[in-house]
Amino acid sequence: MSLIRQVMCRSSAHLQLYQANKLAVAARWASSSSADTTGPLDPKLALALPEELEQRNKLSGKITVPTAVNLGPISGVPDEHLKERRVRIHIPPKNAMQSGTDNINTWQIEFDNRDRWENPLMGWASTGDPLSNMNVQFGSQEEAITFCERNGWRWYVDGADKPKKERVKNYGVNFAWNKRTRVSTK
Amino acid sequence: MIRAPLVKALGALGSPTHQMASRAVRTSAILAQTPAKAPEKIEVFVDDIPVQVLPGTTVLQAAAQIGVEIPRFCYHERLAVAGNCRMCLVEVEKSPKPVAACAMPVMKGWRIKTNSDLTRKAREGVMEFLLMNHPLDCPICDQGGECDLQDQAMAFGSDRSRFTDINYTGKRAVEDKDIGPLVKTIMTRCIHCTRCIRFASEIAGVDDLGTTGRGNDMQIGTYVEKLFLTELSGNVIDLCPVGALTNKPYSFVARPWEIRKVSSIDVLDAVGSNIVVSTRTNEVLRILPRENEDVNEEWLADKSRFACDGLKRQRLVAPMVRMPNGELQAVEWEGALIAVAKAVKAANGKVAGISGQLADLEAQVALKDLLNKLGSEAVATEQGFVQGGTDSRANYLLNSTIAGLEEADAVLLVGTNPRYEAPLVNTRLRKAYVHNELQIASIGPKIDLSYEHENLGADAALIKDVCSGSHAFSKVLEGAKKPAIIIGADLLERPDGGAIHATIADYCKKLKKPDWNPFNVLQTNAAQVGAFDVGYKAGAQTAVKAQPKVLFLLNADAGKVTREQLPKDCFVVYIGSHGDNGASIADAVLPGAAYTEKQGIYVNTEGRPQQTLPGVSPPGMAREDWKILRALSEVVGKPLPYDNLDELRNRLEDVAPHLTRLGQLEPAGEAGAAGASKSIGGGPIDIKLKELRDYFMTDAISRASPTMAKCISAVNKQQRENEAKQSVAI
Repeated sequence: MSLIRQVMCRSSAHLQLYQANKLAVAARWASSSSADTTGPLDPKLALALPEELEQRNKLSGKITVPTAVNLGPISGVPDEHLKERRVRIHIPPKNAMQSGTDNINTWQIEFDNRDRWENPLMGWASTGDPLSNMNVQFGSQEEAITFCERNGWRWYVDGADKPKKERVKNYGVNFAWNKRTRVSTK
Repeated sequence: MIRAPLVKALGALGSPTHQMASRAVRTSAILAQTPAKAPEKIEVFVDDIPVQVLPGTTVLQAAAQIGVEIPRFCYHERLAVAGNCRMCLVEVEKSPKPVAACAMPVMKGWRIKTNSDLTRKAREGVMEFLLMNHPLDCPICDQGGECDLQDQAMAFGSDRSRFTDINYTGKRAVEDKDIGPLVKTIMTRCIHCTRCIRFASEIAGVDDLGTTGRGNDMQIGTYVEKLFLTELSGNVIDLCPVGALTNKPYSFVARPWEIRKVSSIDVLDAVGSNIVVSTRTNEVLRILPRENEDVNEEWLADKSRFACDGLKRQRLVAPMVRMPNGELQAVEWEGALIAVAKAVKAANGKVAGISGQLADLEAQVALKDLLNKLGSEAVATEQGFVQGGTDSRANYLLNSTIAGLEEADAVLLVGTNPRYEAPLVNTRLRKAYVHNELQIASIGPKIDLSYEHENLGADAALIKDVCSGSHAFSKVLEGAKKPAIIIGADLLERPDGGAIHATIADYCKKLKKPDWNPFNVLQTNAAQVGAFDVGYKAGAQTAVKAQPKVLFLLNADAGKVTREQLPKDCFVVYIGSHGDNGASIADAVLPGAAYTEKQGIYVNTEGRPQQTLPGVSPPGMAREDWKILRALSEVVGKPLPYDNLDELRNRLEDVAPHLTRLGQLEPAGEAGAAGASKSIGGGPIDIKLKELRDYFMTDAISRASPTMAKCISAVNKQQRENEAKQSVAI
């Protein structure tokens, strides 16, 4: 019995959906700007001007009031890390030893450097700073700033995203007859 | 040069008319070759993505514009195109062969395929040839972990080797060369990219390196055994894509994945080069350059790179107070601060302060605030300058800016040797000389600047001749689009420095162009500009003249102040990191932090404030300099109104707002006459750093560095050998 009921219910739901779709098609015929596709067609809506619809949409949506979110007090991070530390937001520099640039196009956050020492037992590098190994990457500077502010860290941005200088590279200048670019050593 | 152009030969004759003529010919040659101002961009497709590029752009650059990185070994964006490694081969549609992306300019509508079968096969083939002649050294190679060859072999190489040594002859092997105490060579690893050769001849201007032999027998070296002696030699280590040239003092010290990198600023000259400090377990292991197009591009001078072992030696690790028997004895901080505070209170306002070469801006402001609270205005920099010339910023800055000098077309150097005082300013001048037909003249002793220049003589009266317009070189300056006059900071210490400054400043008003300030002072001390910005007076003698009862030496190690100049009962307090001249005459020594151990602002010679970041913590009981002064102010009973760095930076902003806009340049207006008399008397103009040997030790850190000592002895040895050879030849 229950099985039959379920099947019945499902089929009726399908039916409703089908009808709604049909209505939507009809509505599209009536007014191309109407976006409402569920429920019976409201004649007021169908005849409304685009500006009125926009206004309606705006009023029906939720309004978010921006408030500062500070997760610091509830995140469980000890106070010393919240109050005394400064976060540096930066783009990691290219390694001078290599020519690759694939991993340096993100913004990163980095905490101020704290004491490190050599462990007397094994000679390993030790630190008492839990945040020094945190490596978070962001797509943009603003994302990093938002993240820091939500966590209640003081931050500063180091270095701007400078546009790359365009250079003209030319194999021919190696052999220019009247320029100082011509070299004798090869 | 093998074949010097005719116009250059004319220029060497020395007559001004000839020079003007040669100049005109050269300029017209440039004009004929440079394309029109804004050429139309052309469209090419890199992996089917359309890119708009200027005509003449290479395939490699076009691909870089959309973030496609084509593998390369020999190509470097700051060096000339060589095109000999063939790693950058890519397929271009309808082209019968793969093309070398680094040297091939794009044509309209080209479809470049950077990841096609043909491209991958080409790369694999190149990789196979390179690896066939490359030793399997990676586990014992210093480059391991940051090696281009290693990475590219992983990414583009074949997964198996066809190299079978059927005759058991072994791989190709090349004897190592000794090219000095800084660069270690393992020549078997060399893949002949010739980056080091190009760097030496183009950027450093030293044609020492070259190739001999062909094919499999080709070798990179100096041909006759000699040292690669230049102030920029360390850069070939960075440029080397494999482990053929490595850092000698750093050899077998650490692996790249063990170290932490801290972005910081170099303070051993006034350029303010951007650096990365590599540290492990509270120890600075090496220093690498960090790219900054406006300051150091991506180079670093040898002193800045290799003097970091001086940070571990001669350090002051505990506060010390001089005992009645004349010996300095280590005490606790409390005792030292109380001893200093007693002396300060007894001095009753008769206190003075001298800030030295390596002092950071925070400490300088804290010292000045403390002394002002004690009722003294006698704060001065150790290095002198024109008296009263520090009112306007433009008077003591490199106003044309470091990057701007690249565009200059006539430069006069007065009493300065930029090659050793600021090697990375000299590379800009050399760049302008090579690419912009810059004409350079110098007044001072004859020196080797690594490019051709005209030495006008060492007579100080020449300055007046040039500035009155009667000298032949005045015509060149006046006819130039962007002329610049660079004065050495040491020259302005002379008694007639004020007159020299005023004469040149007046002349520069005439040479001034819109958006171009030709007046430049090349500072040699990293702390100098910052000190003047926050109101320090010039010259240690200003502080000595006040006959203070207590004298603070903040990193002042140049030895300009001696005990004899001071009153007998003067209590000298030294705050700084190294046991050098300053600490030796001090009654109390308060150990401070070196530049790798503190967050401090330094203003470079063009007036750009930049900050260092702490990589390690100060050794022993040493503390950050401004914190020492803050603690002392509390004991003296005149507490300074800042407890942390942010509050101190706020104070800094009150004093001079531009100082906290890090990395940005504030235009400084016009240099004005400092109100000095205009009689340039005095003897001939001299320069302190004439030769390479003078370059290596100029401050407390480099004087403590064993590597720098080795460099000096290597230079001396080379010179002795040269002299011996010459005497044999005679």
